[in-house]
Amino acid sequence: MTDSIKLELRGLRKSFGAVHATRNVNLQVREGEIHALIGPNGAGKTTLLSQISGEITPDDGQILLDGRDITRVPAQRRAAAGLARSFQISQLYLDFTAEDNVAMAVQARSRGGFNLWHNAWRDQRLREPAYAELVRVGLGERANVRVSDLAHGEKRQLELAMALALRSPVLLLDEPMAGMGQEESRRMTQLLTKLKGQYAILLVEHDMDAVFALADRITVLVYGETIFTGTPGEVRQNAEVRAAYLGDEI
Amino acid sequence: MSQLLTRKNILHAIGLLLFVLVPTIADATSEPYIVNMITRLVIYAIAAVSLDLVLGYGALVSFGHSAFFGLGGYVIGIIGFHIANDGGLFGWEGSNAALVLWPIAMLACALLGLIIGFLSLRTSGVQFIFITLAFSQMLYFVLVGLMIYGGDDGMMIDQRNTFPGLDLTRDSTYYYFCLAVLVIWVYLCRRIVNSRFGLALRGLKQNQRRSVALGFGPMGYRLTAFVISAAGTGLAGVLWANYALFVSPDMASWGKSGELMAMVILGGLGTIFGPVVGASVFLGLEQVLTGLTEHWMLFLGPILVLVVLFGKRGLYGLLVGGKHHD
Repeated sequence: MTDSIKLELRGLRKSFGAVHATRNVNLQVREGEIHALIGPNGAGKTTLLSQISGEITPDDGQILLDGRDITRVPAQRRAAAGLARSFQISQLYLDFTAEDNVAMAVQARSRGGFNLWHNAWRDQRLREPAYAELVRVGLGERANVRVSDLAHGEKRQLELAMALALRSPVLLLDEPMAGMGQEESRRMTQLLTKLKGQYAILLVEHDMDAVFALADRITVLVYGETIFTGTPGEVRQNAEVRAAYLGDEI
Repeated sequence: MSQLLTRKNILHAIGLLLFVLVPTIADATSEPYIVNMITRLVIYAIAAVSLDLVLGYGALVSFGHSAFFGLGGYVIGIIGFHIANDGGLFGWEGSNAALVLWPIAMLACALLGLIIGFLSLRTSGVQFIFITLAFSQMLYFVLVGLMIYGGDDGMMIDQRNTFPGLDLTRDSTYYYFCLAVLVIWVYLCRRIVNSRFGLALRGLKQNQRRSVALGFGPMGYRLTAFVISAAGTGLAGVLWANYALFVSPDMASWGKSGELMAMVILGGLGTIFGPVVGASVFLGLEQVLTGLTEHWMLFLGPILVLVVLFGKRGLYGLLVGGKHHD
């Protein structure tokens, strides 16, 4: 195998009562690739991401990170294992400034969480990397704005900054363009293009222009099952995928 | 210089000055009871500041903090009782030194906090309120049942603990001593809530889901805050026992927990300084209104409602102005 696999899902299954949210998911995300996960609403994309990030435990199957089985590792340890995620509905610290939010992520990956003495708001080891990450996603000028005062698109950028600040090799991005206007989507696509090659990214997204512009490979999820994986070109040509999902969008 | 002369700092300085002047004012007006009254206030303020650590910064609504207040007091009472009656306990001849007894009492409260916190923090919301209440009620009834220590009536304590170089039996000395403890405790709590630990604790309060995704385990941070808070509240209980020279199960009653919560909310959740203001106003109102009517809580209720509705950060928030919530 030429490409090393960073994240692998093997035969993942999850039911909620009679609802089979995840029936049989097999998926591999290689080093440096953007792997898009697409599918109609209710296909179980977010449920799948929640299993990978550890919020939900699968009934069956395995999740491997760098070949290591993390299926039973608690959610709070997965970040340290090298997995960062962003949320479809922004999960931010609304009373904090943008920089405080990223500082939380910087602190999460460094030591000293039980330092009860030194002021964290004046700690340059938190502040400088946090600010740098904000600049990277284009929020440098908004560093000292309270998150509740940020615009929707800015919150989405901040979501990404927090995931990046963890410096995890694997990123799970849950609809980074959700609720964005065209111009904002375009900027986010540019931003993600710059990340290409540096991370193994599993990208859930509804914006097909963005998906086809960014993805190296695409997996199609329908009714909790992965029905196809291939390059954007292959996905476009696959009849089953068109019937199941894409319709005349392409 | 302008950095120093903020409205907040000026208010803090005035507040501290007023506290420092209390014995002088008492002397000048020949009303010595004022010193005792304000000593009580300072002790309650220490407990309220401690409660704010979990209530304000962790959004952990503990309705059982009276347990730590009661236990802190009873540790002093019980050790004093055995020294006076049996000449010691468990083969230890005993000591009346504050520097020996107080750490023991605080350690006992921290340990109780560890147990209660470990079990209660598995729940959240209403369940957390009730499980903490249940634990403090358990302690309350244990204290009521301990007939050897006076049961329902509580017990008297022979003398105040001793502190090197200070005569704590003098009321004004004891007052200044308690005030110093309050100032140090407020300073320590400010350090804690502004540290990396404090950042993590506040983050968990605002968005647990995000915090867990970043790798913050909720239990470790919340339990640590709970234990520190328990030890601080226990210290207030210790000071109370020494002040009143009397402990009773009433110290651990649920009503006491409610009073502490009212002080924190009145003064301002998540401000550390606020609970000091809250304790002052609460006890001030009690003092003034009980002179007028037995049902003084009738007046406190509406005031509390107004503060919750209109003052985002309580009375302290109103005093220092909107933006300065830190």
